[in-house]
Amino acid sequence: MEVTVRIFRYDPEKDQRGHYENYTVEAHETDRVLDVLELVKGHKDGSLAFRRSCAHGVCGSDAMRINGRNALACKTLVRDVGTEIKIEPLLGLKVTKDLIVDMEPFFDNYKKMLPYLINESPLPVDGRERLQSPEQRARFDETTKCILCAACTTACPSFWASEEYYGPAALMAAHRFVFDSRDEGTTQRLEILSETNGTVRCHTAYNCTTACPRGIHITEAIGELKMAMVTGKLD
Amino acid sequence: MGSNRNISLPAGIMYKGGPAFLTYMLHRVGGATLFIFFTVYVLSLLGLGSMRALMNNWLFLTFILIFGLFHVINGLRISILDLWPKLMLHYRSIIQVEWIVYAAVAGCALFLLFTRTFGG
Repeated sequence: MEVTVRIFRYDPEKDQRGHYENYTVEAHETDRVLDVLELVKGHKDGSLAFRRSCAHGVCGSDAMRINGRNALACKTLVRDVGTEIKIEPLLGLKVTKDLIVDMEPFFDNYKKMLPYLINESPLPVDGRERLQSPEQRARFDETTKCILCAACTTACPSFWASEEYYGPAALMAAHRFVFDSRDEGTTQRLEILSETNGTVRCHTAYNCTTACPRGIHITEAIGELKMAMVTGKLD
Repeated sequence: MGSNRNISLPAGIMYKGGPAFLTYMLHRVGGATLFIFFTVYVLSLLGLGSMRALMNNWLFLTFILIFGLFHVINGLRISILDLWPKLMLHYRSIIQVEWIVYAAVAGCALFLLFTRTFGG
């Protein structure tokens, strides 16, 4: 069937500002939006620029705004969005070219959460794993699923207002380690989260939860961080 | 274009965030509404005739009721979910309940207002 795609275009070497261009391609309803973009690039306009990698929803490279809502292009089917598709870059990050945005502010915020295990205790006697029960592992399981696609953070009104706000993805990284029983950096991380650009900037708009392609209950997890900060308890 | 962050107020408002995003935006409109209400109220207490007249204007009061009441009820919902984050798993259903409660309360309030204004 015929699919009309309206794509945001911006070439920093030629354009003062972005504009939209329309393309018409033949696609099946079970084709992905990523397939449609590949058709446009392959047969209509080779200058179209977009990020993509795994093409099956685990790398997070192709997050973009599809019909006004953040999603992964490789996980969105044509039948989900119809034959009139509008594709734009993510909001709140500088557009480098076409659908490619500058992800550095996003990753800078992620790094501020100290996204690695902090444990200065002596190694276990046998020199192997720091053991953890299945229940302890399950406590933070959901937030390990984050693929850093930035769909959540760029859907957040607080992040739109200021890229200084750490954003949902960074808060998920913090949650993953704060509730990890093996980690000893909880106090440090909660101090970071209690700063002006931390959890206090979350006003529960739920755009992050709606946008997350991994189905992570982001707003709930941020709420757990807020409770941990207020009560000092992780339960 | 290259130096800005690809965001504007219209772009943010047009983002298709769903029912929860709508409540987020209406909460801010409600907050501004209550600010206007309290400003008019204080000025009317200070004796400004025009402000007193506005406080008795049914159209103004309707506007305040609709948006101010939403701010109050939505604020209650936010507070409840902040205290019990696990309930956020059911945020869609909770927002639906919120709209029902709001419709009922606002409906009663507007009924009373219109009855007193036009009922004689």
